[in-house]
Amino acid sequence: MNKKENNHVVMAQGIVKEYREDKVPVKALRGIDLTIDEGEFTAIVGPSGSGKTTFLNVISGLDDATGGSVRLSGKLLSEMSGKELSDFRRDNIGFIFQSNNLIPVLTVEENVEYVMLLQGVPKKERHERVKKILADLGLEDMADRRPNRLSGGQQQRAGVARAMVSKPALVLADEPTASLDSEAAESLMEIMRELNEKSKITFIFSTHDQRVMKKARRLIVLKDGKVDRDEVKG
Amino acid sequence: MIMFIKLAWRNIFRNKRRTAIASTVVAIGLASLIFVDALMIGMERDMIKSATESFMGEGQIHREGFQETYAVEKTIANLDSLTGRLAHEELVENFSVRVLSYAAISSPVNMRSVTMVGINPESEKHLSQIDDAMEKGSYFEAGGGERNLVIGRELAERLEVGVGDRVVLTAAQVQTDNLAQELFRVSGIYFMNVDELDKGMAFVRLDKAREMLNLGDSAHEIAIDFRQSSVGRQKDHPFWDEYSRLGNTAEGWAELMPQLQTAFELSRFSIYITGLILFGVVALGIINALFMSLYERMYEFGVLLAVGTRKAELARLIVFEAGALAIVSSVAGIVLGFIVNYIFTHVGFDFTGSEYSGVTFREPLYPVMTAGQFILYPILVFVFTLIVSLYPAIYAARLTPVNAMRKAH
Repeated sequence: MNKKENNHVVMAQGIVKEYREDKVPVKALRGIDLTIDEGEFTAIVGPSGSGKTTFLNVISGLDDATGGSVRLSGKLLSEMSGKELSDFRRDNIGFIFQSNNLIPVLTVEENVEYVMLLQGVPKKERHERVKKILADLGLEDMADRRPNRLSGGQQQRAGVARAMVSKPALVLADEPTASLDSEAAESLMEIMRELNEKSKITFIFSTHDQRVMKKARRLIVLKDGKVDRDEVKG
Repeated sequence: MIMFIKLAWRNIFRNKRRTAIASTVVAIGLASLIFVDALMIGMERDMIKSATESFMGEGQIHREGFQETYAVEKTIANLDSLTGRLAHEELVENFSVRVLSYAAISSPVNMRSVTMVGINPESEKHLSQIDDAMEKGSYFEAGGGERNLVIGRELAERLEVGVGDRVVLTAAQVQTDNLAQELFRVSGIYFMNVDELDKGMAFVRLDKAREMLNLGDSAHEIAIDFRQSSVGRQKDHPFWDEYSRLGNTAEGWAELMPQLQTAFELSRFSIYITGLILFGVVALGIINALFMSLYERMYEFGVLLAVGTRKAELARLIVFEAGALAIVSSVAGIVLGFIVNYIFTHVGFDFTGSEYSGVTFREPLYPVMTAGQFILYPILVFVFTLIVSLYPAIYAARLTPVNAMRKAH
């Protein structure tokens, strides 16, 4: 990913997202202006329906904005074709979802390797990187297991491994701890923060869990589709 | 590519019951197709055999126009030369010279019109099955009386005659058109289970028929069996031109019985229709299975798209899954088709005595398996499955990550 001036990884300007539910227009995002820089560990917080997930979807190109623009590392998402957007996500964004991150019929190793296969990374390099990240995340003994033989925490860690292994510029995590107990949630956040510190990869995650929020260095609070508060912790 | 093949192969076994049901539908369709084809080949062979082996032979030579008129004077030109050549013809296994004429046969009780057939009993033995079908009395024994006559069971019943009884044959002589009458003794009664033969023919010795019709050494028909039975089917085989000279015409069974070819074409057409219906059922089965699987994994597709899987790659995954399903189904269909065919090649279907397109089945019908059935049809099923899978594949390719994830909830 090309780093642009000011190290802005995400530059969102006037983002509006409108849905139609039963033919009734619903405004999920009502004009959000935000910049997120390289290496940030940012939490998007807010109550249910505040637009956290929609915001993450729009800034990652998973969903189109109704209005406004999103630049990821200086590249305007709306100018990309579907194929270019797929390739851009593949090469630049790591995703961690609430649950069911992994493909059930693939082993942990194969799941983690998947994105690199799409990227065409040579076999030897793939295996080395998979081995290393699984070791970093304490999953080396689980490499040959299918996801259904992992605990929720292990599954999420494998999801983190998949998101990180291709060395993206940005990792987006949508309520990554929502399906975990508090201990597993804390552990996952620790891991993510360590990886952020070590790799300088930008992390943006949504949550409404107070304990998770405490781990963030920047807190963006959304309310009714708008930025209500944006605070950087000391 | 390998990853997608691996994914596809594993995916079809995620829901084993659904895969088993879909595969069974496809396998039954494939096995049915193989079976119907084998049955049609068996039927064709049976019909050709019944038509050619009972009396007609695989080919015949006549004087041009004889078959249409049965005019006694239309005898084969240059008969001796022809028979001499046929005797040395490599293609020819057997041949038999015949004299044919409409005649009236009368007993003290009744009278019937028949075709009088003058034959050489020895050569005819190798060509037709009259000798094998004798029920009473005997076929023309060597040294037997020149006035011996062999008729079918039904004709004997209508004339109310038995072996040893006397009958009179009346036929018009060549050139003079005078009626010739001769007394014969019924020496044998056969039953072929073919109406035309059992009711409408009376066999006498060739020399006697010639004498009666004042034919000299002439004859009306040479029936031929070939070493390779395919010759009779090939209308453009050089043999027919070779022997269609000097006013003679040589034809294989395909031309002598054009209705047989039409019946076969009809059978082939019915296979196409059957195939079309079966493929329709198979298509619905596959589409149903793929869509069920697709809806079930909607979130997963959302994740795959989110992490950078291209839409075309997702579509390819669905096509690969269909391919994997087709492979499993085809293997099952081949095994099932083989078992069903194997059973019926031993059990058969007894349509003996039934008539279809002018041919009476004389033997039970057995399906005939060919390697082609077990190669061509599975390939067709495989290709067809891939084509059918394009519908769910295109549907998957149109998904957006967010929509896929939303639909999953």
